[in-house]
Amino acid sequence: MIPLESFLILGAILFSIGVFGALTRRNAIGILISIELILNAANINFIAFNQFLGSPDCLGQIFTLLVITIAAASAVIGLVLVIALYRNTKNIFAEKINLMKW
Amino acid sequence: MQSGLIQQLGNLGLPQQDIIIATFYLVAGLTVFFALRVVISKNIFHSAIFLAMTLIGIACVYLYLNAEFLAVAQVLIYVGAIVTLFIFVIMLTANIQDRAIRQTNEQVFISAVSAAVFLFILIKVIKNNHWQLAANKGTQNLGIAQLGRSLMTTYVLPFEIISLILIAVLVGAIVIAKSDKNDTT
Repeated sequence: MIPLESFLILGAILFSIGVFGALTRRNAIGILISIELILNAANINFIAFNQFLGSPDCLGQIFTLLVITIAAASAVIGLVLVIALYRNTKNIFAEKINLMKW
Repeated sequence: MQSGLIQQLGNLGLPQQDIIIATFYLVAGLTVFFALRVVISKNIFHSAIFLAMTLIGIACVYLYLNAEFLAVAQVLIYVGAIVTLFIFVIMLTANIQDRAIRQTNEQVFISAVSAAVFLFILIKVIKNNHWQLAANKGTQNLGIAQLGRSLMTTYVLPFEIISLILIAVLVGAIVIAKSDKNDTT
């Protein structure tokens, strides 16, 4: 049916878009949203390889479940840090956050 | 016998298969379009809404790969929980969705060029590589039953570690987000 390359190229395109977003956003929430895109691109590759290269015990799908959970955890921690920063400094732009830089 | 939903539809005949392939490319194109809108949207709130649409598109792509459980989990966890969380935080941090404030930094051009070059290299590698596909692809699709069985037997250790990480994140999020003023305990 649909070749493996189509899924891999879709994953590559989404990954590049996510990298572009993470590099260019000023807003810390925008950077977190781009990182979610990157993780989803990796998930597409995992499931595509699981389906096409053949895994006897669904290893790719299990790994994708774990990645989804880790992505949720990282989003929660990142957003909590954004809220803490906003409470202390009243802005969340990435270039203004230089408290720990010397 | 336990093949996926899309594959069962694909067994019907040639015209249905053509329709399935056409809808896949439609869904993939829409997903890429929404992902682009996520990245270039001026308003960060629109960005979060388009992220939800992108994630639903990716869940549809999972259906084409016979991963129905993951498609449902994707919609539940990402669209139901994470995007809602993003929207809450965007609303809590005021005056950032103003159109007058620049949302991108000064490295847009160099980032676009490097992302495009990276994408070009990736596509080149994917096209040139000779993938050794599984010969008996039909028997590999064992469905949700096999997924649950191996999650509870072979891969039970990562499953338990994930639950530990989740409880740590739960506690850590509360500790960091709690205001330390007027709080004596």
